[in-house]
Amino acid sequence: MSTSVLIVEDEPEFLRRFSEAVLADGGLRLIGAVSTGAAGLALLDAQPPDVMLVDLGLPDMDGVALIRHAARHQPACDALVVTMFADDSHVMASLEAGATGYLLKDASIERIAAAVHELHAGGSPISPSIARRVLARFRVAPLPPPQPAPPQPSLLSERETEILRLVAKGFSFDTVGELLRISPHTVVTHVKKIYRKLAVHSRGEAVYEASQMGLL
Amino acid sequence: MKPRRWACSERLAHAARALAACLLLLALGPRDAGAAAIEPSQARVITAADAVPPADDDPRWKAVALPDAQPADFVWYRIEFEVTKPVAGAAWMVYLPYLYGGGSLWLNGEPAGAVPESTSTLRVRWERPLLLPLAPTQLRAGRNVLHLRAASAHLPAGAGAPRLAIGTQEELQPQFDRRLLMVRTVPLVTVLAGSVAALLVLFIWWRRRQEILYGLFGLAALLWALRTTTFVFDAMPMQWWPLWRMLYHASTGGFVIVMALFALSLAGGMRRGIAVALACYGLLGPVTYLFAGDRADTLVGRYWSAGLIPIGLSVAVLSFVAVWRQRTLGTAMIALAVTLAFAAGVHDYLVAWRSPWLESLLPRWSDHRLFLLHHAANLLLIVMGAQLTSRFVRTLHGLEEANRTLEARVAEREHELAGNYQRITTLQREQAVTQERQRIMQDLHDGLGSQLFTSLSRAERGALDNAAMAESLRHSIDEMRLAIEALASDERDFRTAFGNFCFRWEPRLREAGIVPTWSIDVPDAVLAVPPHDALQLLRIAQEALTNVLKHAQAGRVRVSLQHDGDRLVLEVRDDGRGQVAPRSAAGRGQANMQSRARRLGAELDIGDAAPGLRVRLVMPGTASA
Repeated sequence: MSTSVLIVEDEPEFLRRFSEAVLADGGLRLIGAVSTGAAGLALLDAQPPDVMLVDLGLPDMDGVALIRHAARHQPACDALVVTMFADDSHVMASLEAGATGYLLKDASIERIAAAVHELHAGGSPISPSIARRVLARFRVAPLPPPQPAPPQPSLLSERETEILRLVAKGFSFDTVGELLRISPHTVVTHVKKIYRKLAVHSRGEAVYEASQMGLL
Repeated sequence: MKPRRWACSERLAHAARALAACLLLLALGPRDAGAAAIEPSQARVITAADAVPPADDDPRWKAVALPDAQPADFVWYRIEFEVTKPVAGAAWMVYLPYLYGGGSLWLNGEPAGAVPESTSTLRVRWERPLLLPLAPTQLRAGRNVLHLRAASAHLPAGAGAPRLAIGTQEELQPQFDRRLLMVRTVPLVTVLAGSVAALLVLFIWWRRRQEILYGLFGLAALLWALRTTTFVFDAMPMQWWPLWRMLYHASTGGFVIVMALFALSLAGGMRRGIAVALACYGLLGPVTYLFAGDRADTLVGRYWSAGLIPIGLSVAVLSFVAVWRQRTLGTAMIALAVTLAFAAGVHDYLVAWRSPWLESLLPRWSDHRLFLLHHAANLLLIVMGAQLTSRFVRTLHGLEEANRTLEARVAEREHELAGNYQRITTLQREQAVTQERQRIMQDLHDGLGSQLFTSLSRAERGALDNAAMAESLRHSIDEMRLAIEALASDERDFRTAFGNFCFRWEPRLREAGIVPTWSIDVPDAVLAVPPHDALQLLRIAQEALTNVLKHAQAGRVRVSLQHDGDRLVLEVRDDGRGQVAPRSAAGRGQANMQSRARRLGAELDIGDAAPGLRVRLVMPGTASA
């Protein structure tokens, strides 16, 4: 069973590069390669892919909106954000919208395919500075959820917190795995769960804020 | 004109009589207690110095009304009275309000009591009342005869008899007690309290000379205490008499003068000339007495003292001026007390010199010969003391208020300073950040900029093939990533920046078939390295890894970051072919690393690790915070 991939990228050069990477890999199946957010949305709903590669700077809409739509309506689809410099603010916005991984734009063709496979297999890498930001996002977020009962699922487990803390200190996944006596693969699986929780947490907060402001 | 003036003085006389009646009631108490006592109003008098009463049939006896005074050294009075009540079973007594020159009392021809008389060695001033018991065997029911031998008093010269009373002890005791209180106890208290108050206030003035009012008040109280001793001593040995008398004049005049100065100060009209003139007049009396002796006593007492009356009047007027100007309760109280004291002083002057005007205006009151000035002066001193005390309290309050204001201002100033300090710190921090940014911009300009321009130039002249072009661009992108990494570590924790660096390099090395090992051995505390230094450190690490990737032909690479004490140690060690030729690209890279390390103040050591190459950077002076 091959992994189906949708590519949303407005720059023809990279659209071609990503398409090549997917097409070159036997384990991947290209559903579509489109250059606008609207086309991406239509394809996403018509033929939900396993993995969606999204560029943030689309001509007709913000890539973050597309990711949010996917996270809400196609929860089985993993969004992989393509960024130029993996700068913290863009990555965080994508993760909070529901992306579960990010990829550098200059990654090699092999690296692109590998990242799609990894993500679909349930693993997400995380950089130290993002780990630090995620930790802060969970810990610092001062707003309590509206009801005390449901917030539990969006909070980090002790193991997840520990992983984030170690990664934030600069330790590699191998080292983190060694320290916690788990495999590096389990580490990245935890990270993906953390990303999902981050999205839920952020959404909950958005809902809470909206209700506070009388929008809901 | 004349009738009107007459009517006016008539009205004044009525008012004075009403006031006198009130004072009399106050001083002597309800009359009912003494009503039963016998108060003879008539007597007979003989000017004679006999040791025993002259015979009843002596032709020289002549009738007088009591009280009486004769200009003689010794006189005898014969007072007849009827006892209508039973004599036995009661303690009968004779009450004399005063007996100025001393003398003795005889009942029905027998001695009944005596007080010392003035002699050549003793001067008697018997101001206080006498209550002498009458022996039951001497007193008869019906007609009795009382003989009184009176010696001459000092001033005004003359021997006299007061208006005396005969009755039982319970009838007379209250009168006696009240008069004793008025003429003895109150003066005694005045002398003691005045001295103590004067010393206290003068002590304050001694320590704070600029508080002239305290000095004047202390002086006034002291003078008044001295002056009041005239009511405290009944007899004075002749050798002390002139001094004491001079002190009396000096203190009387001095008190009035000091009061005048006090009032002038208070009213704000103090002039040096006036003060000197007043002081001269104040000295005139005592100095005259000092030189002329007792002969001048009448002169001084009568005329110099009279001169004090207008001064007293001006004091009263001045104090009302002060009331008009200041309109405070305290000044008004002082003005009232001064007026009262002035009236009392005039009254005492009239009583002392047996003014016929006063005797005709207030006959019954003048019979009692009560001096009022020391009571009025006590009141005046209390009012002044209260005024000064409230002034003192106000000053204290003002001081406290000033202190509070000062404290508040100091606190405000401190707050401002803290704010300024905060601003300066913020500015400095901002400046540091700006400088840091400028250094990084400069760095990008020099490094990335020149690289891009060189590549562009080479590409344009066709000297750059695809692979070289890709490499050049990748290098440029890496440069930018490094800059972003170094700048993005907001917490300035180098560990995070270095972790990001490792995170980025891991897949790249693995794709090239090199297995990396990352080791970070840094204490938990934040490792603060300024962004520009962080950029240089990361560049060195990147250069080392690029060399490993391109030239080392290594299978593994170990990157470690250690922090111990204040040294940061970065080490990149591969298992490749080791040392490179200096002129190769790798060699140029190493030279680059060396110059960066020098600029950082760090020590870079590149050497064979057998097998492979070891790049070791030691940077001192990095403390974890």
